[in-house]
Amino acid sequence: MQGTLQLRDVSISAGTQPVLNAINLEVGEGELHLLLGPNGSGKSSLLAGIMGLPPFRVTCGEILFRGERIDGLPTDARARLGIGMAFQRPPSLEGVTVRRFREVLGASSSHMAEAEALDLNSFDDREVNVGFSGGEIKRWEVFKLFLQTPRFLLFDEPESGVDLEHIAGIGGAINRMAHSLDSEGARRSALIITHTGLILDYVDADAGHMMIDGRVVHSGKAGELFAHVQRRGYKLPVG
Amino acid sequence: MLKQLKNTAELSEEEKSLLARVGYQGEESRAGTCVLVDQSVRCASVGDPGVEIMPLREALIQYDWVQDLMFGLVDPGESDHIKQAAEDVHDPVGHFVRVKAGAKVRLPVQTFSLIETPQGRQFLHNITVIEEDAEVDLISGAAVPSGVHSGHHISIEECYLREGAVCRSVSIEEWGADMQVHSYARTDLARGAHSISNQILMTPLKHHFSQSRATLAEDAVCNDRTVIFAPAGSNRTMESETLLKGKGARSESLTRMVTAGGNVVNRALIVGEAPGTKGYLGCDGLKLTDEGEILSMPGVLAKTADAQLSHEASVGMISEEKMAYLMSTGMDEDAARDLIVQGFLNLKEQELPPTVRMALEKMIAAARSGSM
Repeated sequence: MQGTLQLRDVSISAGTQPVLNAINLEVGEGELHLLLGPNGSGKSSLLAGIMGLPPFRVTCGEILFRGERIDGLPTDARARLGIGMAFQRPPSLEGVTVRRFREVLGASSSHMAEAEALDLNSFDDREVNVGFSGGEIKRWEVFKLFLQTPRFLLFDEPESGVDLEHIAGIGGAINRMAHSLDSEGARRSALIITHTGLILDYVDADAGHMMIDGRVVHSGKAGELFAHVQRRGYKLPVG
Repeated sequence: MLKQLKNTAELSEEEKSLLARVGYQGEESRAGTCVLVDQSVRCASVGDPGVEIMPLREALIQYDWVQDLMFGLVDPGESDHIKQAAEDVHDPVGHFVRVKAGAKVRLPVQTFSLIETPQGRQFLHNITVIEEDAEVDLISGAAVPSGVHSGHHISIEECYLREGAVCRSVSIEEWGADMQVHSYARTDLARGAHSISNQILMTPLKHHFSQSRATLAEDAVCNDRTVIFAPAGSNRTMESETLLKGKGARSESLTRMVTAGGNVVNRALIVGEAPGTKGYLGCDGLKLTDEGEILSMPGVLAKTADAQLSHEASVGMISEEKMAYLMSTGMDEDAARDLIVQGFLNLKEQELPPTVRMALEKMIAAARSGSM
C-alpha cells in the first residue's frame, strides 16, 4: 500500500546550513509513528521541512503526500492538501483572538466538545498564544488541529511542559483525532516527536524512528524502540 | 422621544449610507445626533432628556457661559489656523453637545462631519461638556462621498469633562485621498473624570496634522488608543500632550501605526506634574513594505519625584514566523497578513460598531492589495 507520506532520500537545509541528510521514511494511512532522538538531532527540523516552514527547505530528494510531490509547494498549499502541525513553540499572535482565528479558518463549532475536553472552552476571547502557559500552548496546538481537520498530523513534543492533570486530556485528544476519519472518510496518520514517552500511555503507535545527527538511523516497533531508549539511551539497537 | 431641532433637515439615504461606514446609525437608536455638512449643521436631534445638542452659534446665544468655554482650552496664538478661527467675523460653525449633570445616557451620542463639495473648505469649532457625574458614549466620524477627493478640513475640538464624568468615545475618519486635514483637540478632565477614547485613522489622506492636549486634575484617568493606517501617498503627523496636573492622575496611551507605503510621525509626551501620577505611552509601528516611514517619538517628563512614567516604542516588519504559523493552517499569504495586521491594530469587536469593523477590514485588505 502506498504511504500517505513518503520521504525519499530527503536532505533539508536551514537557510544554507545542511541539517538533515538522506532521510527515508514512510507513514501509511491510519498509522501513527514516533520520532525519537536526542536534543539537536533534527526531529523538529524534519517536521518543519515536511510542513515547509522557513528557513527549512528540501535540497535533495522528494516528499510525497498521497502520491503528490509537495516539497516545492508553499506552506499553505501543503496545509490545504491535508497536513497539519502542532508546534512546539508557536509564536504569540497579539490582538488575534481564538474566536477570530476560528472564524478566519472557517472552522465549524462542532469541535467545542474537544475544547472542553482540553480545558479550553473559555479561551474564545484570549489572544492566540499570548500569555498562555506551557501547558495551555500544547492544548491549544492540539485543538487547533481539530479546527483544521487535516489528514496527516505532525506533533512536535505535544506533552512537554504539560502538567500530569492535562497529559491525559492531550493524549486522549490526540488519540481521538488520530483514530477518526477525515472529511473524505480516510483514516488519519500522524508523526509524533516525544521525549518523555508519556504520550504512549494514550496513543497506540505503530512504528518508531530514531534520529541521530540529522539521520534516521533505526526504525522499528514503537513500543520496543521506546523501551530500548529508556534502557540504553540513544544507542543504536543491536540486531 | 426623538426631537428634531428647528432649522435642521433629514439626511439623504446616500448620506446615511456614507456615514454608516464611520459609525452612523439611525437617530432612533442614538441619544443624540448632529451632522455638519460642509459649513452648516444639516441635522440635529435629541432622544434623551439628559442630552442637549445644538449648533454652537445657538448655544452661545442660549447660554452665556458657553462663551467662556470657547477658546477656554486653546490659545488663539497657538497656530495660524486657530488664530484664523478666533478672528473670523462670521458665526462659528460647529456643534455644542452637553450631557447634563448626573445623566447616565443609555444610547450613544453621535456627531459627524461631511464635506460634499469638491475642493470644499470646512472650518469647525466643536464644544462638548460632560457635566458632573454624567456618563456617555460618543461616536464621531468624518467622511466624504467617493466623488470628493480634494478639500481642506480644519477642526477645533474643546471637550470638558466635569468632576466624576465618564466619557467613552470612538472617532473614525474616512477622508478623500488628496485632502488636507488639520485638527486641534483639547480635553480638560476635572477631578475624578474618566475618558476612554478610541481613534481610528485608516484611509489615505494627502496630509494630516493632528495636535491634541489633555489636562488631568486630581484622580482623573485618561485611556486612549489610536490606530493609524497609512497607505501609499498618505502623510500623517500626530502630536499629543498629556498633562497629569492633579495628584493621582493616570494616563495610558497606546498608538498602533501601520504603513503600507505612507508616512507617519507620532510625537507623544506625558508630563507628570503632581505626586502619585502615573503615565504610560505605547507606540508600536508595523511596516508592510519597504516604502514609507514611521517615526515614533514617545517622551515622558517627570516634574515630581514620585511620578511613575514609562514608554515603549517599536517599529518592525511582519514576522516571518507568524506568517508561517498561520499559513501552516491553510490560510493563504494575504489572509495571514490581514489577520496579523488586524490583530496588531487590535480592532476588538466590543469597541467598534459592526459596520465600522467590517469597513475597516475591507480597508486593510484594499491597502494591502494596493487598490486603496
